[in-house]
Amino acid sequence: MKKRFFSSLEPYLFVAPLALFVVFFVFIPILGTVWSSFYSDVTFLERRFSFLQNYGALFSDPGFWKSLRFTLLFISVAVPLELIIGTAFAVVLDLEIPLRGLLRACVLIPWAIPSAISARIWELIYNYSFGLANFLLAKTGLARGPVNWLGTDFGAFAAVTAADVWKTAPFVAIIVLAGLQAVPRDLKLQAKIDRANFAQVFFKVTLPLLKPVLVVALLFRTIDSLRIFDVLYVLTHGGPGGATASVSLYAYKYFLGGDFGYGSAASVALFLVSFALSCLCVKYSGFTEAAS
Amino acid sequence: MKEETLVSALTFAAACFMAVFSLAPFLYMFATSFSASPDYLTGGFNFTLANYSDVLGVRSLHFLDYLRNSLVVSFVSSAATVLLASLAAYAITRLEMKGKAAILLFVLAVSMFPQVSLIGYLFRVMTELDLINTRTALVLPYIAWILPLALWILVSYFAQIPKELDRAAVIDGCTKWQVLFKVLLPVALPGIFSTALLSFIFAFNEFLFALMLTTDYQSRTIPVGIALFQGLHGETPWGQIMAASTLTTLPILLFTLLFQRHIVQGLTRGAVKG
Repeated sequence: MKKRFFSSLEPYLFVAPLALFVVFFVFIPILGTVWSSFYSDVTFLERRFSFLQNYGALFSDPGFWKSLRFTLLFISVAVPLELIIGTAFAVVLDLEIPLRGLLRACVLIPWAIPSAISARIWELIYNYSFGLANFLLAKTGLARGPVNWLGTDFGAFAAVTAADVWKTAPFVAIIVLAGLQAVPRDLKLQAKIDRANFAQVFFKVTLPLLKPVLVVALLFRTIDSLRIFDVLYVLTHGGPGGATASVSLYAYKYFLGGDFGYGSAASVALFLVSFALSCLCVKYSGFTEAAS
Repeated sequence: MKEETLVSALTFAAACFMAVFSLAPFLYMFATSFSASPDYLTGGFNFTLANYSDVLGVRSLHFLDYLRNSLVVSFVSSAATVLLASLAAYAITRLEMKGKAAILLFVLAVSMFPQVSLIGYLFRVMTELDLINTRTALVLPYIAWILPLALWILVSYFAQIPKELDRAAVIDGCTKWQVLFKVLLPVALPGIFSTALLSFIFAFNEFLFALMLTTDYQSRTIPVGIALFQGLHGETPWGQIMAASTLTTLPILLFTLLFQRHIVQGLTRGAVKG
């Protein structure tokens, strides 16, 4: 009897270490952040309960709205570009071409390199006086003078978006490629026999079948872009004048300054948005089926 | 016939474009690391190895310290993650228990939270425990942060291994632990390897925790080290930064070329499953 009770518990022992780690280092910190957001909690000052005061201050700070607007605008520009470029790459990688493995590895490299390092490379590329971007613009005559990439609102936005799309399009390419390879060859062959051209086959046959994979890619990328930090921290530091400060960067600056209550409130606002999105992700990508 | 030549020419052009798109920034990094000044596009190139000898030789730049921290932290995190995720994946795919789907979904939902919503609390806990600026302070949250992904990939691998295999082992008198370590893990080795590789990459690339929880070369990792890289004289030492980046990037580049199949498999299992 005792033995049977123990053996029914045994499976949980296998899961326990994982569960403990996730609970202690992710779940409890999140609860702690929520808790802390209701306190006036600044280093060297007395900690006191202030209920919604941080949220009041947050919602009346134009800087917060600016960061939220940037984050959402960034997502709505970067994510579609990543999906389009990633899908295009996947289509090429799916073709029978020589050195396909090598090309696939090349495409993966931007994804595998730490974004802090690639952001540093982009910082040099965007350098006003001697960067590669302005050099190429001058050589090709596309721009009249050097572009102030990191010093103007539009330039910084474009610079950050390009750097991020470059880094994350490979991720989309890889998972879309897996989706493409699952499309039955016969189907494409049949369409070819019916004299459909390449574009017709792609848009009429392949793309509809790719929809589930594209939805997963879309949601993963959206949730990930929502918390963008590294590229901005290195490339623009949120500048010029907060034009490229994401909510993560906005909250980080308060944590760094020792205002834990206010930083927490900003993080909570961000994770509420994330939470809504991850619910969508779980709902639409069929994860529940995979689990059973 | 003509259409086919056109198509293959277009394909070739597209493939070239993709290679250039992906690699051009690295070529620029590589070139800059060998130049005496970063404005060589308009001035002279002036080949030099000084950037490398500075990065590797000047102790106060701490490049090798950062690199060692990164390697230790990523290796330990990756190994622990794979071990813990294997245990859990075994229970979820093989043993009778309630709440399997709940565990998978909980873990997935948790992994989607923005990291910034953890750092304030983690910073204080690590300060309390006197762990700020230690590698331990990074390893612990890294394991927790990467576990969900590892679990999802491994569950998908384990689910593919025929159940008859471990049933036979049980009949031969193996305990659950023996089934896992002697039967399942060896068969799932490619999956374990993919998971370990991805976990390593994730830990190696992590930025925000490392930025918040470390203060100097004793525990700072390479991404933060390079992001905050200061020259000896206060200016932005582009040559040295690019030399340090090259030294970090080259091994990853080789790794990716060698193991791209495993990385791709891991990524697809983690994302597309379902």
